[in-house]
Amino acid sequence: MPDKIIKLDSVTLSLPSAAGPVNILRGIDLSIAKGETAGLVGPSGSGKSTLLMVLAGLERPSSGRIICAGEDLTQYGEDRLARFRRDHIGIVFQSFHLIPTMTALENVAIPLEFAGKADAFARAEEELKLVGLGHRLTHYPGQLSGGEQQRVALARAVAGDPEILLADEPTGNLDQATGAEIIELMFDLHRRKGATLVLITHDEALAERCHSVVRLKDGLIESVEAGAAA
Amino acid sequence: MNGGEASLPLAFRLARRELRGGLSGFRVFIACLALGVAAIAGVGSVSTALTRGLAEGGQDILGGDVALRLIHREATQEEFSYISEGHDVTVSAEMRAMARGVEEDESGGRGQTLVELKAVDDAYPLYGAMELVPSMPLADALAVRDGRPGVVVEPNLLSRLGVAVGDDIRIGDETFELRATIAHEPDRVSDGFALGPRAMMTRDALPGTGLVQPGSLVEYYYRIRFPGDARSTSDVASWTEALNERFPDAGWRVTDRSDSAPGVRRFVERVALFLSLVGLTALVVGGVGVANAVKSYLDSKREVIATFKCLGAPGALIFRIYLIQVLALAGVGIAIGLALGMMAPFLVDAVAGDMIPIPAEMGVYGGPLLLAAAYGFLTALAFAIWPLARAREVPATGLFRDIIAPVRRFPRPVYVAATGGALFMLAALAVALAEERMFALWFVAAAVAIFAVLRAAAEGIMDLAARAPRFRSPGLRLALANIHRPGAPTSAVVLSLGLGLTLLVTVSLINGNLTGEIANELPERAPAFFFVDIQPDQTEELASLVTGTPGVTAFNRVPMLRGKIAAVNAVPSDQVEVTPEAQWALRGDRGITYSSTLPEGSTLVRGTWWDGDYQGPPLVSFGEDLAQGFGIDVGDTITVNVLGREITARVANTRAIDWTSLGINFVLVFSPGMLSSAPHTVLATVEMDATADQEEALEREVTSKFPNVTSVRVREALQAVNGLLENFATAVSATGVVTLAAGVLVLAGAMAAGFRSRVRDAVILKVLGATRGRILGIYIREYAVLGFATALVAALAGTLAAWVVITVVMDMPWRFLPGTLAVTIAAATFVTVGLGLLGTWRALSVSAAGVLRAD
Repeated sequence: MPDKIIKLDSVTLSLPSAAGPVNILRGIDLSIAKGETAGLVGPSGSGKSTLLMVLAGLERPSSGRIICAGEDLTQYGEDRLARFRRDHIGIVFQSFHLIPTMTALENVAIPLEFAGKADAFARAEEELKLVGLGHRLTHYPGQLSGGEQQRVALARAVAGDPEILLADEPTGNLDQATGAEIIELMFDLHRRKGATLVLITHDEALAERCHSVVRLKDGLIESVEAGAAA
Repeated sequence: MNGGEASLPLAFRLARRELRGGLSGFRVFIACLALGVAAIAGVGSVSTALTRGLAEGGQDILGGDVALRLIHREATQEEFSYISEGHDVTVSAEMRAMARGVEEDESGGRGQTLVELKAVDDAYPLYGAMELVPSMPLADALAVRDGRPGVVVEPNLLSRLGVAVGDDIRIGDETFELRATIAHEPDRVSDGFALGPRAMMTRDALPGTGLVQPGSLVEYYYRIRFPGDARSTSDVASWTEALNERFPDAGWRVTDRSDSAPGVRRFVERVALFLSLVGLTALVVGGVGVANAVKSYLDSKREVIATFKCLGAPGALIFRIYLIQVLALAGVGIAIGLALGMMAPFLVDAVAGDMIPIPAEMGVYGGPLLLAAAYGFLTALAFAIWPLARAREVPATGLFRDIIAPVRRFPRPVYVAATGGALFMLAALAVALAEERMFALWFVAAAVAIFAVLRAAAEGIMDLAARAPRFRSPGLRLALANIHRPGAPTSAVVLSLGLGLTLLVTVSLINGNLTGEIANELPERAPAFFFVDIQPDQTEELASLVTGTPGVTAFNRVPMLRGKIAAVNAVPSDQVEVTPEAQWALRGDRGITYSSTLPEGSTLVRGTWWDGDYQGPPLVSFGEDLAQGFGIDVGDTITVNVLGREITARVANTRAIDWTSLGINFVLVFSPGMLSSAPHTVLATVEMDATADQEEALEREVTSKFPNVTSVRVREALQAVNGLLENFATAVSATGVVTLAAGVLVLAGAMAAGFRSRVRDAVILKVLGATRGRILGIYIREYAVLGFATALVAALAGTLAAWVVITVVMDMPWRFLPGTLAVTIAAATFVTVGLGLLGTWRALSVSAAGVLRAD
């Protein structure tokens, strides 16, 4: 059995609200093996995004244990979690979230700069070439198309060679053709870098391409099925 | 590896990239800092130019390297030989006198006016030059021609007497030919406060006037020039020290060129202190704008901050990235402020140079600019750290889901401490650098208190708006909701506009009370005239003339001498420790008198009054306030130098003195005896219930019959004092307006920050069928309520502050001035509504469809 790079043990999360606490995750047990891909599917409000945030160390669970890349995230403080993300996690968002005042090259270089890499810009340039944007290095996000912006975001997510790549509906803001290109690119990068990919999507066909399909409903895992890649 | 994660170079790099977004959100931020810094730098630069001018031009202003002043008497032969040995000396006699026209005017009378007389010798002036119109040497202008001595006068004397150059005028018993007007008199400033225009003659001509009588209030000035090779500051200092050792009882006031006009210098320093504190208030008001601008900038950066966090940036790095940006922008604002402040001395010189009697050294002064920059940076820090610290708490989860309510986390303790530290440094710097620390401390304490009151008031207003009954009018309901909804500009408006308004209300109420007290509300029994320098043998004749004049209701007279307090309980006056409020009494000479009975307007506080026929060793009655300042009690001794003689008297009692009656009263009243045998003059007051013409007729009659008697019209003297006060109040109001401008800037900034939500509100209301007029009505109501409430709070706080200053600090009766308050409240409401509408007008014309599509 391959190593489990992600291991969640009875993870719950409730958030306060005006109408009393809302239980968003209600006891999640999940393991994902190193280098595999997992598709998270489920209706709105089922807890997909929250689960992703918990994996990234952006949200603290109310109870339970999370082991990611061999580290127990529940033991860490805010800054330790930031360093953990920097060193192990890459994230791709639905809305890209590029820094508007920075060029494509600078956007990709940021996580490398955070890590104090002296060759941050050279590596960022390589990554942009890999996603086919070698000619757009000095463009600002506002000067790029949606597809190009998501490519920059992808390059940024993988620039630090993360062990885990998290994607939150990465094609949600793109047209179908561009979305398909991005998905191909993302799976390609996952293969090349050997990173574990956890992907939130509403697209059943896309989820089916993964090693496993995790179905969530009302904060609980309804089922875990083997996908086409398994 | 953690090497680069929070390093400064990385923070700088990222900050620089972030700043590419431009300064658009920071215009108010920059303007607020620039305004406050410009005010402080400007006041500092101008006052430095003035004090530097006083210091550098010390010789000209003093008319010598050292000046000695004696009252009532000239220097003895021995004293004169000592001071003139190896030095050039010019001697002048100065006194107040009456000048009269010789020709009759249309009404058959002759104009007359009080003049500040100065009789000079051939050596005058030792430093600087007299400038006359028409241009001629002073000696020629004052020389005797055709048996007439010459006189030169300040130009305003011409209109007062209705005479022209070439005419004759009479001063005392002598007729002078008016040869020229004075364009510039180098040592005028050091002569202090003037009640009338200058008239200058030769010392040889003075005896002919008959003005100098025993006891006459004549000041003799000995202005001394040291030889060129022995003129250093230490030469001057060691010479004056030796002089005082040689003649310890001479009773002269010694001034040297290093502090040529101490009174003027103190005045400049005090005004500068007050104005810089007002400037600091403007800066702090602007601080609210700084905080708002930083907060709304960081709000717009929430997504970027969250992205940074997702990419692994620790909180400290995020704090640094934005702190560097804020400091860089603060640097821009401060640089603009310094540039403006630097120009202030040149601007003042160009606009009002002729009106400033001090030879200001206009230039660029590093000290005040550095200080203003320090204040600017501290303010930026004090007001930016809080929102910056909150920004580092922005949750990265916001990128994944819409945040239902913003996370309201109190900043970490280290940032709370840093904010407190910056505020403390601001206050400490203001107090530590002030000459009068207690004043600065009170000012800072009052500003902090008013800030707290306004903050509480803002909360109160929001709370009241939230609890207000549900009005039937949807417009009013919405207006009130806008005041208390989350993110409402209420707090910023109340704080920023409120602080400026409070200051303005305080200043105008204090000014109104002071000028009102002096000019409009003269006590019912205020005298019309003071007659000075009456010889004792003239008193009876003058009394019968005055009391026989219709309209005269009272005539009071007292003997008067000038004396200097030389020692308290045998401790020399320069070593006596007294409170700052009592310092003035030791500085120069004081009017003193003797009396067998308790003077009018006085009430005994401690001790007992002496018997009417007391003839024993000298006793003295002391003003109670001053006695407290000196820390003396009944039985202690006071030594006074009169006419070069020291008289030591035991304190028999203390009196509370009602100065506001404007009657004759003295801090020091001696028992008769020793003083009554000293040469002295009589001071008289005349109370009249008569027309101005009748008053003038009496004055004319007295001064023509007794040419040596000088008449001081109380009304004119008070007008002169009032003029000074008005000028001061104008300067204060001008700086107060800077504070208000800062408030208006903050208000405009707050309105701009809320613009996007205004647009959304307007669109939704339009979708629901509201016309633009109706929406406008809602906004007008909102701003009117806000402006009115702010003004009301400011009026209350300002009135309280002014009341404390008038009744507690100045110990004067309080007059409520509803007119001033009404104007303030109306103007503040109007400004708030006007600015508010200006800020939201555009929101009304935004296309609803465009906004809805974008959503």
